[in-house]
Amino acid sequence: MSGGSDGLTVTDLHKAFGAHPVLRGVDLSVPEGAFAAVLGASGSGKTTLLRVLAGFERPDRGAVTVGGAILDDADRHLPAERRRIGYVSQEGSLFPHLTVAGNVGFGLRRGRSRERVVGHLLDLVGLSALSRRYPHQLSGGQQQRVALARVLAVQPRIVLLDEPFASLDAGLRAAVRADIHALLRRSGATAVLVTHDQDEALTFADMVAVIREGRMAQVAPPRDLYETPVDPDLAQFVGEANLIEGISHGSTVETRFGPLPLRDGRPPAGQALTVLVRPEQLRVAARAGSGPAEAGERRGVAARVVELDFHGHDAVVRVVAEAGAASPLIARVAGEVSLTPGTPVTLTVDGPVHCWPRPPAGIRDGPPVAVLAVDSVEC
Amino acid sequence: MTTTGIAAERRIPAVPARRRPLPWPLLGTSAAVAAVLLAPLAFLLIEAGGTGAGTIAHLIWRPLTATLLWNTVRLTVVVTALCAVIGTLTAWCVECTDLPGRRIWAVLVVVPFAIPDFVVSFGWASISPLVQGFQGAVLVMTLAVYPLVHLPVAASLRSADPGLEDAARSLGIGRVRVFLRVTVGQARGAILGGCVLVALVILAEYGAFEILGYQTFTTEIFTEFQVSFNVPTACALSLVLVLLSCVILGGEVGARGAGRAQRTGPLAQRARRRRRLGRATLPVEAAMLMLVGLALGVPVGAAVYWMVAGGAPSLTGVSILDAGWHTALYSGCAAALATVAALPVALLAVRHAGRAGQLLERSTYTVLAMPGLVIALAISYFSERYAGGLGYQTSVLMIAAYAILFFPLALVGVRASVAHAPVAMEEAARSLGRTPRAVFVRVTLPLIAPGLSAAFCLVFLACATELTATLVLVPTGVQTLATQFWAYQQNLAYGQAAPFALVIIAIAAVPSYILARYFDRLPGRTGDPR
Repeated sequence: MSGGSDGLTVTDLHKAFGAHPVLRGVDLSVPEGAFAAVLGASGSGKTTLLRVLAGFERPDRGAVTVGGAILDDADRHLPAERRRIGYVSQEGSLFPHLTVAGNVGFGLRRGRSRERVVGHLLDLVGLSALSRRYPHQLSGGQQQRVALARVLAVQPRIVLLDEPFASLDAGLRAAVRADIHALLRRSGATAVLVTHDQDEALTFADMVAVIREGRMAQVAPPRDLYETPVDPDLAQFVGEANLIEGISHGSTVETRFGPLPLRDGRPPAGQALTVLVRPEQLRVAARAGSGPAEAGERRGVAARVVELDFHGHDAVVRVVAEAGAASPLIARVAGEVSLTPGTPVTLTVDGPVHCWPRPPAGIRDGPPVAVLAVDSVEC
Repeated sequence: MTTTGIAAERRIPAVPARRRPLPWPLLGTSAAVAAVLLAPLAFLLIEAGGTGAGTIAHLIWRPLTATLLWNTVRLTVVVTALCAVIGTLTAWCVECTDLPGRRIWAVLVVVPFAIPDFVVSFGWASISPLVQGFQGAVLVMTLAVYPLVHLPVAASLRSADPGLEDAARSLGIGRVRVFLRVTVGQARGAILGGCVLVALVILAEYGAFEILGYQTFTTEIFTEFQVSFNVPTACALSLVLVLLSCVILGGEVGARGAGRAQRTGPLAQRARRRRRLGRATLPVEAAMLMLVGLALGVPVGAAVYWMVAGGAPSLTGVSILDAGWHTALYSGCAAALATVAALPVALLAVRHAGRAGQLLERSTYTVLAMPGLVIALAISYFSERYAGGLGYQTSVLMIAAYAILFFPLALVGVRASVAHAPVAMEEAARSLGRTPRAVFVRVTLPLIAPGLSAAFCLVFLACATELTATLVLVPTGVQTLATQFWAYQQNLAYGQAAPFALVIIAIAAVPSYILARYFDRLPGRTGDPR
């Protein structure tokens, strides 16, 4: 990312709790006004990163700067109250003894302007009518909006959001997320969202940083992250993924689905590749009888449906190829309810694919690190 | 500590356990508090050491010890069993049935808790010479302490999952067995905790048994120390008494490990469908009326009767004011001291859930195994013998003894209040640009203040109604409400004693009703400012 001195820059951040290292050299830069999502499994260090940024924890090593000003480095540690970094926690952490208005005005100096700012913010989050309520009288979504208004009141340079939607009902989550997204955009703040929910990260952010074992595995815009993840593990972490084998032919890759165009990169011909086929790229067509697959532009693979999960707007189909004992493949189809288990189908692959060099067979079953080491060469 | 921990047990769903560095100042302060609390036990052991193991053994291996043991144990067993039954039934009737007037019953059933045992005992003994000895002790103590079972069981039933009963019914189990196996099963921890408190109270009781002429370890220790000045015997018997208390506390810990009642369902709380009493309504109402009449009506009625019949002399008015002032002074100071001392221990236990914090917190509960009399004796004897009489029979020592004695009570209240002020709240305030001091004043203090004042009230009440330790440690020439009542009562001056009894009841009953309401509400929401 371009980064620059205007936004947030994190360099080589380390933090351990006791003997247990949590952050192991995190680098991240978020341009001013951008929304970043830090995506990671539980225990990956994402919350710790946020707490360091907020100033609740002091890093063991590394630096944090905002707009060119150093907040943390080897000699300095600016306390949380002087950072102007807002923090919205999972539970909202509203003060139970203060009203909605009292909460929003908490960080403001007493005076006439406080009333005005509080009123303006409550209008912004659409809660003016509830200003005299207490937090326990609000719904979860309302509490989160108050928490955001409270943070925006002090005009923070950066707003940190620690899984703020996790405690909401699934039905409510998307709506509150959209609300908060719009509110933050209007305020012009730079935002960093921490989440373990990939949907949330992909829809919310301009750039997604995947944190893995205390380091950034990849930092990219949502679309790039989804289409060209740096390694197979990441592909499976961000969305569902079919990983198939192939051999490079320059701009195409030869697979059992025939030659597929590569999205990017020109691996040397003959190189063994792991190919990423997203479920929506896999086309499933019902096949009359159990005869051989029709020959089309692209070679079809004969397969059978094992499972159909109907979701209303679409369905997820699990299929197993008839030839060769391969693991099931996942396809996303629009409303094909006729694909009951046992149905013979033909599989084809749509669109360009992404791939990584495949390590020699001996290393394949090794730890994921082995895969990682090889893939640093963009293919 | 279980029962009183009803509310305190509920931990805040913390940020994924993240080990913070141990805060040394907090740890140091807590360790100092724990050391002070363990001092009486240390004093007792030093005394025993001074007397010599041979002498102690000789003093224990006597027929007297066997008699005391038999008296104490059989009373403890019978009263505890009765309290378990009565307390569980009243809790169930009030919480789980459609008993008419259950809101009023819920209050009336608990009020006897606020009346000191020695006042209940006085009420009964003064109107009937039949109430004495073992039967008298069983009657009086059961009526005085069954709320110790009722309170935790009622709280546990309120928060229990009604779905479990439905599930059991659908598995084809009859109503009675559902009650015994599911309802009581869920409340088992609460019942057990209540029983432990009942047993500890009986072991520590002095005044009630003295009035009823029933001899237990505590009455005998008191006589040996205060009347015969026989320190070695008092010390030897104290050791046995502390051992008994330890057995009870240890048994509770062992029994509790067997699984916990927990709500497994989703968060949304379904309203409990109340059991219809139907034709049983009238008998149940009658039983409740009788219980409240015996536990509340008799002691209060007797005190009122003696006050009217005795024609209180004019002098009483002055001495009540004077005694009341000293009671308030000592109790207030002790309550403040205990509450402040409990704060670091509670902070450490709640916010730094590490080994050290847990160990320190647990160690403070060892005070529970020390009956008030034993603590008072250990402190007074130690100050006299080893500290050159430093502080003996001064108000400072009196206050310190109170604070040590009722520290566990303060800790329960403070712990609950600290849990209401999660660190996340303070961090949110800091990130809004407030300095640590401003955060403490504007966020932490308002959040924990209700709990702190509850803890203060709890200790204040306990001190104001405490008799045994007061008799030992009260400064020379000073009378508190309890000691003045005791002096009149021993001279059979019932008319003069009665006003003191009524004042004690009044100052105990009203605030404890408010306290009960406070602790009732605790387990619910994270914070209700109203």
